[in-house]
Amino acid sequence: MTTGGKRILMVDDDEDFVEAVACFLEANGFTVLRAHDGKEGVRLAKVERPDLILMDIMMNERTEGFFAIHEIRGDPEIKHTPIFVLSSFCSRLPDLEIPAAGGWLAHDMFLPKPVNTAHLLEKIRQRLGKAA
Amino acid sequence: MSESAAPEAVVVIDDDYAMRLSCAKIVSKMGLRVEVFEDGARGLEAVAALKPGLVVVDLKMPGISGLEVVSRVHEIDPQIIMVVITGYATIDTAVEAMKSGAYDFLPKPFSPDELRLIVNRGLERRRLALESQRGEVERALLKRTFVTFVSHQLRSPLAAIHQYLDVLQRLDEAGDSPARRREWIGRCLKRTEELQSLIADWLTLARVEGGALLKERVEVDLKSTIVNILENYRAMAAAEDVALEVSLPEGETRVRGDRTCVSVLFDNLITNAIKYNRRGGKVTVSGGFCDGEIVIAVGDTGVGIPEKYRPFLFDEFFRIKDSGVKRTEGTGLGLHISKRIVSEMGGSIEVESQAGIGSTFRVRLPAWREPADDAEMGGWE
Ligand SMILES: Nc1ncnc2c1ncn2[C@@H]1O[C@H](COP(=O)(O)OP(=O)(O)OP(=O)(O)O)[C@@H](O)[C@H]1O
Repeated sequence: MTTGGKRILMVDDDEDFVEAVACFLEANGFTVLRAHDGKEGVRLAKVERPDLILMDIMMNERTEGFFAIHEIRGDPEIKHTPIFVLSSFCSRLPDLEIPAAGGWLAHDMFLPKPVNTAHLLEKIRQRLGKAA
Repeated sequence: MSESAAPEAVVVIDDDYAMRLSCAKIVSKMGLRVEVFEDGARGLEAVAALKPGLVVVDLKMPGISGLEVVSRVHEIDPQIIMVVITGYATIDTAVEAMKSGAYDFLPKPFSPDELRLIVNRGLERRRLALESQRGEVERALLKRTFVTFVSHQLRSPLAAIHQYLDVLQRLDEAGDSPARRREWIGRCLKRTEELQSLIADWLTLARVEGGALLKERVEVDLKSTIVNILENYRAMAAAEDVALEVSLPEGETRVRGDRTCVSVLFDNLITNAIKYNRRGGKVTVSGGFCDGEIVIAVGDTGVGIPEKYRPFLFDEFFRIKDSGVKRTEGTGLGLHISKRIVSEMGGSIEVESQAGIGSTFRVRLPAWREPADDAEMGGWE
């Protein structure tokens, strides 16, 4: 596999959504770690040091994802981990690369939810290719 | 509990005229007082004078920056809820703003529903904070406006189903396992049911609110309605290892109402009694007469309802989320709808419960009287 067993952390409170996307990524050679709330997401990010994080925003009825992202970006050990936001917040917008500024890294992305998995795969490969 | 004194004030600070105007329109339609300002300086002055419950501020403004507004508002009163409006250009600042204490952010472009959702949630959050400050019961009850909550609840199952189908289609090519395929189809069906019951609940509520009950009142026999419902749930109860018992009185059990609504009422109570029961438990539906009313009691031997939650049980979207309680699917609309139906029919509903032992919901409905009686009472114009 070209992905060389890269590890992706998926943070989302909808277990079905996680299951579907995770299995797809696993079938494509990635290892997927799963978290169902922001806190667990941050914990796993710190302990497991994934290569990339897929983050939902609305979790448990608030914008928990933003707090999680903020925490991750505030931790010098893991702040360079690329983050893709997967959220229905973004569903009315084309996916956009976020300008590299403030807490965001260049090429972090917002993708609408539900996500086109082929497209997601391509973006992840591109991103991790850049990182390698 | 939240008292309904003067409506809370909301301050909107945005240099964009159209944005101010539409925010003001949406927020004032929510029954809240709203004041708009075009720059941070004026906005802050007003915040100090007005002490609003919530401030919405655009992060990208000339003059005092949105970020600065956030921290200055909190110097004035840390209990004021701050919501920041942000475009992609300022999304990094939005995170900064949350760090300096903003409660939530609103990505541009946003819909009226999203604004309403966030304002409601913010104000609810404030009420909860103020309440717990006063040492009142801490509760995780978030009451929301119907449409905003429903749209959020509709989105999640749809996204999950879509994602399963999307991945199933793609994995096909890579050759996936039949077991997984079966499981996912099962999950999709479950989420579809979730959607359907949400929509069904929504429609029933609309029906009740639209006054359907007052318009088409026909005679409905409670005994046969209840027996039919129990019949429908035999299999579900057996699967949960819950026994169903019924002892309805001899004699007239007819009431006046809408057939669908009466079914929905007892359907909700009976399914709850099964869902929130324990293995080996039972559900008992019994009945009697009292002062011209028919009394139906639906009792269970389940988890019970802790006293602190009872005042909220009939609120829309209320669900108990204690870790001890087993997780079940549900919209949190069932009891709210039931209560509405009962009161439209001129009856009442009450609950008795002991945590760990069980609950009994008791419904009283006026017994059917022949139309002749009505004519006498109402008279002819
Ligand atoms: N018989 C019962 N025993 C224990 N708890 C109950 C019982 N009936 C209702 N509850 C509690 O009250 C909450 C609200 O019930 P309600 O029927 O309104 O919604 P629901 O069961 O969550 O969803 P649905 O509307 O789909 O039935 C439930 O989530 C549950 O926690």
